[in-house]
Amino acid sequence: MSSTILHAENLTKTYGEGRTLVRAVDGVSLDVASGEMVTITGPSGSGKTTLVSILGALLRPDSGSVIIDGVDISTLSDARVSRLRARTIGFVFQAFNLLEALSVRDNVLFPAHLAPGGVRAAQERADELLARLGLSKRRNALPGTLSGGEKQRVAIARALINQPRLIIADEPTGNLDSKSGQDVLMVLHDIARDEGRAVLIVTHDRRVEDVADRILWLEDGHLRDRKQDDHEWVRDPVCNMAIDAWISTLFTEHQGQRYHFCSVRCRERFTATPERYLARFETPVKLSERSPS
Amino acid sequence: MLNWTYRELLAAPQQLLASVAAVAGAFALVLFFAGVFTGESRQIVALIDKTDADVWVMQKGVGNMHMTTSFLSDWKIDAVAAVDGVAKVTPILYLNSVIQAGGRSWFSYVVGIEQGDGRAGPWKSAAGARLPGPGQAIVPDIFASDAGLKIGDKVRIAGRDFTVAGFSADTFSMANSVSFVTLSDLADTMSSVGAVSYLLVDARPGVDPAVLAERIRTQVEKVNALTRQDFSRRDFSIAVQMGLEIIWMMTIIGGALAVLLTGFIIYSHISDRERELAVIKALGVRDRVIWAAILVQALVIGLLAYGLAVGLIYLAIPLTEALVPKVSLGMSGDSLIRTGGLAVVVSLIAAAIPVRRVLAVDPVTAFQQ
Repeated sequence: MSSTILHAENLTKTYGEGRTLVRAVDGVSLDVASGEMVTITGPSGSGKTTLVSILGALLRPDSGSVIIDGVDISTLSDARVSRLRARTIGFVFQAFNLLEALSVRDNVLFPAHLAPGGVRAAQERADELLARLGLSKRRNALPGTLSGGEKQRVAIARALINQPRLIIADEPTGNLDSKSGQDVLMVLHDIARDEGRAVLIVTHDRRVEDVADRILWLEDGHLRDRKQDDHEWVRDPVCNMAIDAWISTLFTEHQGQRYHFCSVRCRERFTATPERYLARFETPVKLSERSPS
Repeated sequence: MLNWTYRELLAAPQQLLASVAAVAGAFALVLFFAGVFTGESRQIVALIDKTDADVWVMQKGVGNMHMTTSFLSDWKIDAVAAVDGVAKVTPILYLNSVIQAGGRSWFSYVVGIEQGDGRAGPWKSAAGARLPGPGQAIVPDIFASDAGLKIGDKVRIAGRDFTVAGFSADTFSMANSVSFVTLSDLADTMSSVGAVSYLLVDARPGVDPAVLAERIRTQVEKVNALTRQDFSRRDFSIAVQMGLEIIWMMTIIGGALAVLLTGFIIYSHISDRERELAVIKALGVRDRVIWAAILVQALVIGLLAYGLAVGLIYLAIPLTEALVPKVSLGMSGDSLIRTGGLAVVVSLIAAAIPVRRVLAVDPVTAFQQ
């Protein structure tokens, strides 16, 4: 039976002030249950890193609350937040972020220093994880000698060593070739399914949508649910290219109507003489609510 | 965490070696200057230590030899010899003076010894006669080579010319040398009649020198008596005291240099590894644990540097003796402990320098590409 591992409510985070104020996260609420794999996607600069930092207890929001495994982190001191991160959250980074001086096995065991029982209690589990992720033969290798896929699998083993309830992965396939990326996705998928952990993935990788339980779209600090097959196909009024309005970041409002563009160039041409292009399209250039399944 | 701390340091062994060598240079500087003072101070008490009398007897109120004058009436030689437990009494006359030869001058202890009695004479001969005869002087070999003296040349001591009869070894130091003439010549030079400066007392076998010194003090009028160890310790501490301010100044300069070097090394090390610090912070390691790791790294560098500096100095002692015989270099437990303490303090300060930088590392940056 699944239970909520991560509960975020009405999160807000702003940077700057006055005219330079940016609402990186604006009223975001979110739940992730055990055994669930949730993807957050969105355009660059949409606030994904800020949001994932807040959800990973690395950054305090201006307002709102984050409850991880039943603990409201806004009530905790920095020291206790660090302890909670060490024991309850496993991180997987796009850049792998392995400690270069340590061997594969020591990297995996590193977070175990921060958990009850320490390294001694975690040795067997480290070996199991390395075996499961196909890294047994590389256990004594230094990170510099590993391939990208191997590095990311080490990072996943490190994230799992303290058996956290929540895994947060930031672009876990971003630096990998398609085969390695696919492997990593399946490992994360299995972690959610087989071990009942909550897995939150921030990514641009469209393949993640195929295995995720939920896809969340973050744009301008706002989060909204999106189904795997949700698309809103429209045409660029300038060049007539088909564009998915769900993920389009280039648009403009004209006479109460939103128009999407394939490029900045098209948007500029439209903005200069909208009548020229609208004359070609009497109605909004919407193709369909859903893509063909 | 400790594993990471050490592996981090050892990950770049050449960088570590260079860091340790640089800091060791600063500690070696401190140890070298302390070593010079220790060596010079040991030379100042060389006469006391090398003649190895059990008890030294001197004028009442006098407690040391360096820069001091002591006069005892010569009848006290018999009075001391009569004390139970005394095997032998050897009188010396002693003068702090300047010796001139070959247009050069040196400060020296001039020791007048009874003719033909080597008890208080030079403990090691380099060339020529071991003991002085009338009108003769035994001078340090280094003094002689500096002044270009040969046996048979003249030296001027306290306004009187003496003929160099021999050269002694281990009697020279930059601060103070020891030259020997006959007691009667020195008495004549000093216009001292019926007086000596110190009495070197040998105890009978089985007699405790401290007990004997106490007996002499109580049984012989107006004298002070000290065991050789006590007498030597007093002179040594006075000699060291004279150089203490310079030693401390050098310790502070060397320490400041070591702090700057270690601080720079640690700071650079942290700057190069900000991303890793961000990652370990993100993984849940607290700031104070990271700082403790940095402190351990600074201590490792500091203590390795200290060990290397000690090794270098012990290598420098025979080298200095061979290449610059005028310099007496010696290590004392005090200077080793002081510099070891300095290494710990340097490490603490150096580790404190990058604290703000460590605190400023934002774990969120671990998410950045």
